[in-house]
Amino acid sequence: MRAGPSQEEIRRHNLGALLRHVHLSGPTSRAELTSRMGLNRSTIMALTADLTAAGLVREELPRQTRRAGRPSLVVRPESAKVYVFAFDVGVDRLVAARVGLGGVILDRREAVRRRGEFSLDEITGALAGFARQMHRKTRPDTTCVGAGAAISGRVSKGDGMVRLDPNLGHEVVPFGEELSRRLALGLPVAVGNDANLAALAEQSRGLGVGCHDLIFLHGDVGVGGGVIAEGRLLGGHQGYGGEVGHMVVNPGGRPCGCGARGCLEAEVGERALLEPTGRYGTRVGKEAVRAVVEAADMGDITAQEALMRVGDWLGVGVANLVNIFNPEIVVFGGMLREVYLGSAAQVRSRLATDALPASREHLRLRTSLLGDDATLMGAAELAFSHVLADPLEALARVSI
Amino acid sequence: MAPVLELRGIDKSFGPVQVLHDVNFSAQAGEVTALVGDNGAGKSTLVKCAGGIYPIDAGQFYFDGKPVQVNGPRDAAELGIEIVYQDLALCDNLDIVQNMFLGRERKRGLVLDEDSMEKLAEETLASLSVRTVKSIRQLVSSLSGGQRQTVAIAKAVLWNSKVVILDEPTAALGVAQTSQVLELVRRLADNGLAVVLISHNMNDVFAVSDRIAALYLGRMAAQVKTADVTHAQVVELITSGRSGELGLHNGSGVAS
Repeated sequence: MRAGPSQEEIRRHNLGALLRHVHLSGPTSRAELTSRMGLNRSTIMALTADLTAAGLVREELPRQTRRAGRPSLVVRPESAKVYVFAFDVGVDRLVAARVGLGGVILDRREAVRRRGEFSLDEITGALAGFARQMHRKTRPDTTCVGAGAAISGRVSKGDGMVRLDPNLGHEVVPFGEELSRRLALGLPVAVGNDANLAALAEQSRGLGVGCHDLIFLHGDVGVGGGVIAEGRLLGGHQGYGGEVGHMVVNPGGRPCGCGARGCLEAEVGERALLEPTGRYGTRVGKEAVRAVVEAADMGDITAQEALMRVGDWLGVGVANLVNIFNPEIVVFGGMLREVYLGSAAQVRSRLATDALPASREHLRLRTSLLGDDATLMGAAELAFSHVLADPLEALARVSI
Repeated sequence: MAPVLELRGIDKSFGPVQVLHDVNFSAQAGEVTALVGDNGAGKSTLVKCAGGIYPIDAGQFYFDGKPVQVNGPRDAAELGIEIVYQDLALCDNLDIVQNMFLGRERKRGLVLDEDSMEKLAEETLASLSVRTVKSIRQLVSSLSGGQRQTVAIAKAVLWNSKVVILDEPTAALGVAQTSQVLELVRRLADNGLAVVLISHNMNDVFAVSDRIAALYLGRMAAQVKTADVTHAQVVELITSGRSGELGLHNGSGVAS
């Protein structure tokens, strides 16, 4: 028979829970923490004292109170002092940011990525360069507690190797290891699929707070997906799950970068929108997609037709997902925000005819609250996760 | 749950012209109800009846499930009904805070309580996740169309309102600003308000609405859940008052 958790384990768990609370909900009074965590006041006081001593939070008097009695101290995350590096590798952009505890972007650098061959050297070099620039500007009393990266590719559960998306060039690369070596901060870089991380970010600090069943559809050049079912991100056997962009919606349809035909991303990705309007090759990326939506709005019939067709296929894809997973919220992020808002009539008409009435009844379709930063914030959350799991241990590790 | 706002059997005539015939309409908290219809179908008239601007000839007005009398805009405002008109009614020469509190300024003694107004305006914009406005002390004349719409909507939300009615909020905007306003409309409802959205743009309607109420020649053709209908059905309801099983039938008073 296994003995119950030790006092030390309980304390560690509670420290993590309290820190997570302040990290996600922002400054919270001790009284509120007491009621929300279901612990007594002296426990909260002891936990806060530990976290304060570790430099993770600080306590302050609230700005103003209208209630009678001694005001309860407010616990704030030390956003300016405790931070992580977050990276986002999209097809068209590279982003590096310094994100403080509490999810505040303290500093960021962004570069346009030219399409074409994925060069591990070039990309990790650029990202590490950005991080060094930002690191140099920090004050001596700040601590970097982790690093995380979002990448458009499949990340293996076992060895962290990244199988790049077809749009980045099919290769298998040791991305996290190489970036960590280049950073030379003595920190491992946790790596996750961009759409998966965006789903987690939207659930922890976007519009999916408190939601257990959420699907995030991230439009870059292709379509990535993050499926959270019953509170957990679906990874599958090797961690490659959730690739909804390669769900075949139109057998024999448009060719996809993966080699198949009629994948969701082939029918609703950037190329499906740009090619019929004669724009493919001249302009690419988010701006080009926006230009098509704008042209459709101004009355350009080829743009309208392309957008309607794309909306129709997007509706088919979402209807399939709704039937299989019965999500509470489907979030459209990246370039799919523009596509959804520009073709919602087609998307929802498809849902009305193709999705099961019981499954779509309470479905909410939303655009991402975190917007273009959803993937980056997901990377930051990934970097913070080990600190939240065991705050003191994680801090002890980095300060050595 | 009872709808926040419910109108039953509304008739309204202007002289010899009857513009609303026995109209039923409701709006639920937490939902966006789109009000659609052709030009002259009676959308604006219905909304002005709800806002107490036009007296109704016949019918009942319920708020939070209770019958109420609305004899003017003041009554409607007291219940928590706010209307944002197409022309927005903002003053160009005043800043955002001044516009939001125009005519309802807060005072501390004899002077205006600028601090508390500024704080409340800031909180309201933050609660709507508005990031497009740089400073709340900016003059409204310096704002873009989308930002103006945002300020007008925030102004309507400021007064603990329960129902916010938006008349064609995206009509004059480009794509990028339309997207921002649509997201704002959705957020209002997600924050718990009952939102009524008048729009001609079916994409906007489908992008954010939970229910669609279609007016046809002064009658309510149907009020349906957006999840249950297609674009084609809504267009049919707007243009002919019926679509298959949905809508007006000969028995319900429309001339065949």
